[in-house]
Amino acid sequence: MNTRGQRILLWTAPPAVALFALAYLVFPVFSPPLSPTLTPDQVAAFFRGNVTGILGVAILGNLIACSLVPLFAVTAVQISRAATSSTVLTYAYVICVGVGTTAFILADYCWGMAAFRPDRDPQLISLLNDMAWFFFIAPVGTIMVQNLCFALSVYLDERPDPIFPRWVAHFNVATVVLLAPSAFSILYKSGPLAWNGPLSFTLRLTTFAVYIAVMFWALVRAVRHQGDDRVVLA
Amino acid sequence: MSGSVAEVPKAPTPPAERATSWRKNRKLDQWIAFWSVPFFFNLFGLVFVPLSWMMPPRSPSSTTPHIVDFMQSHNLLIACVILTLAYGLAPVSNACYLMQVRRMSVSPAFRYSMMIGAITGAIVGMLFPMFCFGLGAFRPGYNSGVLTMLYDFGYLAFIGSLGCFCVMWMAFGLAIILDENSILPKWLGYYTIWQYVTELMAAPVWIVKSGPFAWNGLMTFWFAMTLYVSWQIIVYVCIYRAIKNQPEAELDNASAELRQAVELRSGTSA
Repeated sequence: MNTRGQRILLWTAPPAVALFALAYLVFPVFSPPLSPTLTPDQVAAFFRGNVTGILGVAILGNLIACSLVPLFAVTAVQISRAATSSTVLTYAYVICVGVGTTAFILADYCWGMAAFRPDRDPQLISLLNDMAWFFFIAPVGTIMVQNLCFALSVYLDERPDPIFPRWVAHFNVATVVLLAPSAFSILYKSGPLAWNGPLSFTLRLTTFAVYIAVMFWALVRAVRHQGDDRVVLA
Repeated sequence: MSGSVAEVPKAPTPPAERATSWRKNRKLDQWIAFWSVPFFFNLFGLVFVPLSWMMPPRSPSSTTPHIVDFMQSHNLLIACVILTLAYGLAPVSNACYLMQVRRMSVSPAFRYSMMIGAITGAIVGMLFPMFCFGLGAFRPGYNSGVLTMLYDFGYLAFIGSLGCFCVMWMAFGLAIILDENSILPKWLGYYTIWQYVTELMAAPVWIVKSGPFAWNGLMTFWFAMTLYVSWQIIVYVCIYRAIKNQPEAELDNASAELRQAVELRSGTSA
């Protein structure tokens, strides 16, 4: 088995990242991020005034929602190459990616729905917007476990020639710490932990962006070094 | 029906063993999984069309009284119950694909991508929209605004779920194209990639509320559905042939002697 398939999947990530960056930059809801303190009438007015931008990005987001999945799938393959007793971490990782992606898609749908008929009752527009923010910012549990699985596989690897440099594992543990505050966005409507705050919003998204870049680099390197090494066919 | 997997010599199965009963079929697990899928899709069709008339989709620009009437029809609840009982079969069809991809000479990354798409797709494309309809019918007396929201959500999530299927089909198509064991025909790989591109056609359902690109439109529903159903049937026929043509020595439950015999004859182990 050669690594051509893994390399193809891996190189779908840069265009995917470019589209995500585009979606982020043109999404009216993020510039600046809507405050959780807005009243339902203010939220409804905002959606009525930005239908095109919000719907456009909601559709783009819908289409590209799973476009980072191949990157995670290659990560899972590399986890399974680590010399540990089983592939339990690979499976935990894969299922976490599935569940985490689901939350992202539901967030996207909620924003799309709010803009689909912006003349709805403001209470409902506000509810949809709150739901979207909940799904988008708060559920960090799966990506935290994902990164811990990855880090563990690097720490426990018994190979003489490690697949990943050790600092990549440390970096993954660091992202777990940096992503955790977002879960508290459910508790606050203002301040750094609110969903538009520096900890829940800026830090979370920056961490994620840096994380994707680092993992892409590490995976390209790992796959290049894999050569003819057979993968456990889990 | 000449098999495309002709390289491995056919297993020397004693004819008596094959004929005794279906229970003795060496691929029984795969056949049960395989036939559960047409059963599931037929049930799906019955629930959507004659039972609840959820499909063909009602118009996004229906008048409020029509929407309210539909959302409160009791049959929606029954449809919801049947689908809640049966939706566990949806993963089985994906498992049938995964078994064939597993036989290909491709990285497990393709299977993982498909698995993730399948997990996501079953929730956002089936359970969630189904419950939107069910919630509308569950408690009479919601105001029409709430019911319209559930109606929109139900149809848009059913028809407008795109990304999760895109990743599944991309991975499936690519795996077929890259495979060197000829498990599935190469043209099916290109066809699958093309099917994934036509999926993009459904994107406008999130914007327009009438005409050919609305969620009940000629292009986004009828044309896309025709393309999808024909693709799905063709894939399924190919999967059927792939299961049928899989040499018995390659099965996980093949006897040790059979495997050894094949390995000796072909010289190297797979």
